[in-house]
Amino acid sequence: MFFHNFKYSLKTLFKNRMLIFWTFAFPIILGTLFNMAFKDIESSEQLDIIDIAIVENEQFNNNEMYKEIFNNLSDKNNEDRLFNINYTTKEEASKLLEDEKVSGYLVYEDGFKIFVKTSGINETILKTVTEEIKQNEIMMNSLTEIEIKNGNYNYEAISNDIMAIIENSEANIEDISSSNLSYTMIEFYTLIAMTCLYGGILGMVALNGCLANMTNNGKRVSVAPIKKSKLIISSLLASYIVQVIGIALLFLYTTFVLKVDYGNNLPLIILLALVGTLAGLALGVFVSAMFKTNENTKTGIIISVTMLGCFLSGMMGITMKYIVDKNVPIINKLNPASMITDGFYSLYYYDTETRYFFNIISLIIFAFILISISIFSLRRQKYDSI
Amino acid sequence: MIVFKTFLKVLKSCKTPIIMYTVFLVVFGGLNMQTSDTATSFESTKPDILIINNDEDKGITKNLIDYIKDNSNIIDIKDTEEAINDALFYRDVNYIIYIPDNYREDFLNNKNPKIEIKSTGDYNASLAHMMLEKYVKVANTYNAKLDNEEEIISNINKTLSVKTEIELTSNLDTNNLARATFYYNFMNYSLLAGLVYVICLILSSFNEIKVKKRTIISSMKTSTHNKNLLLSNGLFAIILWIFYVVLGFILLGDIMFTTHGIIYIINSFIFMICSLTIAFLIATLVNNKNAINGIVNVVALGTSFLCGAFVPMEWLPSSVINIAHVLPSYWYIKTNELLKTIEVFNFETLKPIFINMIVILLFTILFIVITNIVSKKKRKIN
Amino acid sequence: MNKVIDVKKLTKEYKNLKAVDNLSFEVYEGEILGLLGPNGSGKSTTINCILSLLNFSKGSIKIFGSEMTPDSYELKKEIGVVFQDVALFEELTVYDNIDYFCGLYINDKKVRKLYIEDAIKLVGLEDFKTFYPKQLSGGLLRRLNIACGIAHKPKLIFLDEPTVAVDPQSRNNILDGIKILREQGATIIYTTHYMEEVEILCDRVIILDKGRIIASGTCDELKALSDIEEKISLEINKLDDKHLEEINKFKTVDVATYSNNTLLITYKKGKNNLLELMEYLKKERIKYNNIFVERPTLNDVFLSLTGKELRD
Repeated sequence: MFFHNFKYSLKTLFKNRMLIFWTFAFPIILGTLFNMAFKDIESSEQLDIIDIAIVENEQFNNNEMYKEIFNNLSDKNNEDRLFNINYTTKEEASKLLEDEKVSGYLVYEDGFKIFVKTSGINETILKTVTEEIKQNEIMMNSLTEIEIKNGNYNYEAISNDIMAIIENSEANIEDISSSNLSYTMIEFYTLIAMTCLYGGILGMVALNGCLANMTNNGKRVSVAPIKKSKLIISSLLASYIVQVIGIALLFLYTTFVLKVDYGNNLPLIILLALVGTLAGLALGVFVSAMFKTNENTKTGIIISVTMLGCFLSGMMGITMKYIVDKNVPIINKLNPASMITDGFYSLYYYDTETRYFFNIISLIIFAFILISISIFSLRRQKYDSI
Repeated sequence: MIVFKTFLKVLKSCKTPIIMYTVFLVVFGGLNMQTSDTATSFESTKPDILIINNDEDKGITKNLIDYIKDNSNIIDIKDTEEAINDALFYRDVNYIIYIPDNYREDFLNNKNPKIEIKSTGDYNASLAHMMLEKYVKVANTYNAKLDNEEEIISNINKTLSVKTEIELTSNLDTNNLARATFYYNFMNYSLLAGLVYVICLILSSFNEIKVKKRTIISSMKTSTHNKNLLLSNGLFAIILWIFYVVLGFILLGDIMFTTHGIIYIINSFIFMICSLTIAFLIATLVNNKNAINGIVNVVALGTSFLCGAFVPMEWLPSSVINIAHVLPSYWYIKTNELLKTIEVFNFETLKPIFINMIVILLFTILFIVITNIVSKKKRKIN
Repeated sequence: MNKVIDVKKLTKEYKNLKAVDNLSFEVYEGEILGLLGPNGSGKSTTINCILSLLNFSKGSIKIFGSEMTPDSYELKKEIGVVFQDVALFEELTVYDNIDYFCGLYINDKKVRKLYIEDAIKLVGLEDFKTFYPKQLSGGLLRRLNIACGIAHKPKLIFLDEPTVAVDPQSRNNILDGIKILREQGATIIYTTHYMEEVEILCDRVIILDKGRIIASGTCDELKALSDIEEKISLEINKLDDKHLEEINKFKTVDVATYSNNTLLITYKKGKNNLLELMEYLKKERIKYNNIFVERPTLNDVFLSLTGKELRD
């Protein structure tokens, strides 16, 4: 009997096309859109080679040092290449800037002068670099002065000495940031969270079919010689399995097609997906058992709760999650979508697992509380009204 | 009149999503609305930096911190490693500098102490890195020759105070134009989602077989009824559009009273007409009320993501841009983006904008034709 | 005869409404009992109470001699229910729907298969086994609804308004099916507000109004309760008030009315009424067209007991 009901619950869930769309297809479509829109964001936020123009006047042409420096900065073989330089006339440079072919152009007449169209990062870099060139000159002069003050008049020796010092005074800086810094991953984590919670709709539909006070089918199965608990558990199990299949498909798609990075700890990733799905099921059970309205309204409730939760965990703007976490952390501590998102985030970004397990336990408590409340209502076998 | 009244009644039942889309528009538009004065002089970009100083705030250490402070936005974050890491991940800071214990002493003893940093790797972080590198290099150089800390500091500061002269050639109000473009780009989502949702819902209510039979047998001519329905939907679209435009005036201010502003408005009007026909087409194709929510999400979110309403167009991969050409939203957003850069209006600069508008109108005609063909076919089946 | 159901003093109250008021009745093995009453008279509520779906305020219900509770699985096995609202899975075919519901009762797959075939044959859905409910007409849907409720060959069947909004062909099929079920030995409780069905089908009828039994018995017994014996109606183009008055004075006439060119006479007793009337009309030279003579219906019984029509 358990298996009979289980089998048919699976069959009805799978054949419900609207349900399948929401749980399977919709997240995949949304994920594809995310991927298209965000694929290049992070690389476009990195520093690109900046197009600039330099006005070729006599002063510049006569300054071998500057020519050498800019040659170096625009050398295609230089790893730290910053610029792509167009040497040209003033008129041409001005035209290039007007047409936005270059970020700015440089005129050297007793010092650098830069012409730009807007205030931006490329323009700032150009400014910083020219300043650095000038500053190096000043530094050389100051050091020479110091040497002379110290009674050293051998210019050649001074010059060589200073060059050596500058060569050897490289900054000792070490980058200790995690390599997993791709914040657009959050989008995909919220997508998983959304799918987990949307799965609640499946649970709600499955449970509704067992309740005499909710559906006609519920009435019919209630007069059949089957224990209510057995019926409910087998229906919910079927729903859970469908949910897990949906999540698994989404995982496969996002991992292999969209190249989403969930970190390396596969067992913990699976555990989080399973617990997240359970939280979704609990949401569905709660809505099904506690609200006595039609199925459309219940679906509406689950969708609204899910979308609100995902909004707060950064689906429509990644910073949203950070703002909430930073200013009103309690909201996201209660928000199942955020628990799931944050769980994946901590697996991806952090080496320690404390935060991950905090999220797992929060999700289990969330599911436990909702299901416990629902059980009070589900234990009833006779109703005051149908 | 009676058709319009019923239209309003049905409309009332879907006011929540309309409010939601509007709130999205205001919130997301507003997020980018940080008031900035009209920029007529050059402003350097300042990266967001967090400094964790484990040394005493004195001498050379203090000078380093002061220099960074002058050239960046110092961000204040709760002093736990987790909060700091979160801040870095969510780009609340671009760059974190850990000044080690005993830095000042080790520096003066020429030990070139190691400074640890964390970086988001984006251009702001690169800028911060350039800044820190430059400072340390200058400091190291003077340190090699000089022994007196004060002397070193004064030399460093003297050297780093050199600035390059920079001139803005354009007096375009770029900040405000960028805001206006952002707002009108986001309108792609709000208008499309609002119109498709409402019109699909209303038409499917009116088209429901039983209701339709009733209207057909009523004494009102079917064509009159349809015309009234069309007018009501058109009126609704115009009201929604005017509402968003007025909202734009409130949020964007003066910029909307310029020639730029007028073109933004004309462009959005043409796009509104096009959205209306898209909504009609979808309503003709889909009669299932349950499916509407999903379709709205896919159509409005999809075009917005693909055509650069949320993410600036220049950041989208070229393959996506190529796909986007077949969507009217692309041409609408392209005009908004163009407006950002046009300084003088003449035939040359306006030509691409006219072309974009004509393309949108061609799409509109195409949608009308398809809608007619589909609805004729459907009638035959019935 | 064995009592299959024994309801004693059943009372079900909603907040401010007594849906079922002190109801007592029995159902005997092998009979078709009709529960007749207008909408909202408490028929469905009574059934839901008997099935232990609803809490009730007072009273006791026994089925096959034992108390009915939600856990009486042995009892439930013998019961089949066809609810008023169609309860089916949109996502399953005709066959799968019956298989699902039947499978809740019958574990043995081979037996179940035979039972399902029987049920399909009974309601005449042989050609629609692989159809989905959406593809069925209203009448066929009702038939499927019935098949799902009775496929497990229960001994006791509840049919709650199974023929609402059904085309005549399907209705006949359903009524025939019910008769077959009875022949196969089932006891049937049949609720409806169509009195014609009750007259064709039911051995015994209970008439409910406002949650109370207002009459019970066989159709004939009930009809005897009516103070009307016969109704005669004639089409007459013109009738003077004088004549109407005279007709009203006939010994056996209860009341005679004339409106819309129709003279309607109800009689308390029923012998030679027509003859007397014809002679009178001939004597007074009143021309008439059609004559209808009707026996009283259960509706008339209901009318005379409650003062209102059975149908809304």
